Amino acid sequence: MLAIAVTLAITAVLQAQSPVSAPAPDLSDPEVAHVAVTANNIDIDMAKLVPTHTRNAAVRQFATTMITDHTAVNAQAAALTTRLGVTPKDNAVSQSLQSDAAQARSSLEPLHGRAFDRGYIDREVAYHQAVLDAIDKLLIPTTENAELRKLLVAVRPAVAAHLEHAKHVRRQLGAPARTGK
Amino acid sequence: MLLTGLTAPPKTHIVEIRGMEFHPAVLTVAVGDSIVWINRDIVPHTATAGGATNWDTGQLVQGQMGRYVARRASVARYVCTFHPTMHGKVIIH
Repeated sequence: MLAIAVTLAITAVLQAQSPVSAPAPDLSDPEVAHVAVTANNIDIDMAKLVPTHTRNAAVRQFATTMITDHTAVNAQAAALTTRLGVTPKDNAVSQSLQSDAAQARSSLEPLHGRAFDRGYIDREVAYHQAVLDAIDKLLIPTTENAELRKLLVAVRPAVAAHLEHAKHVRRQLGAPARTGK
Repeated sequence: MLLTGLTAPPKTHIVEIRGMEFHPAVLTVAVGDSIVWINRDIVPHTATAGGATNWDTGQLVQGQMGRYVARRASVARYVCTFHPTMHGKVIIH
């Protein structure tokens, strides 16, 4: 369930309940699984835009890693849910993620080269930060099944590494001479 | 004494890859020893060194192992080519 990329949608959910009183949204385990798989698929789909939008090697390598890692996590999540007999269930958080991703995709699709690099990587930084927050504040606390929770815990370091990787690429993009497509 | 002149047999050292880190991150070995990396993470990794040592385990999926035999004394820094935040070092003497 890796890059549980709970984007701005989840960030909004989390922020809306920040002051002490409001509890986290009460997701069932099938809903948590659905959010996880959705978040991974969103990041995979976004990364698939990269080869046709930039020649920047660092951005392309980052995107390749996103596809590889999120695919591996989804395979693990699928194996686990099958073994547990859990059918991922669509829910409001997943729908918000998909809606947010569709918007982000429409903003990125017309861009190429350096403009695309900047837009894509900025979004990846925000997305993975939101995912980390979601894992810590929403998904792990909500999950009841120990094995599903263990998977979320195992995925967290990869999300943190993706965030640092994205920030590293963003710093590289700041160099004046770098060119894209 | 009968043991005079004998050298220690080569050892095998294990480096576990887990939580997006190499454990141990710094390893000291002798020439002739083997180093085996085992990927315990869900996502694939590599252990790849450039320079004089120049080894690459290639992609290691979860549960897969890669081996390198230390051929000559050196200090080798290595990375996971997929995840630039992951670094390790092998001191060969």
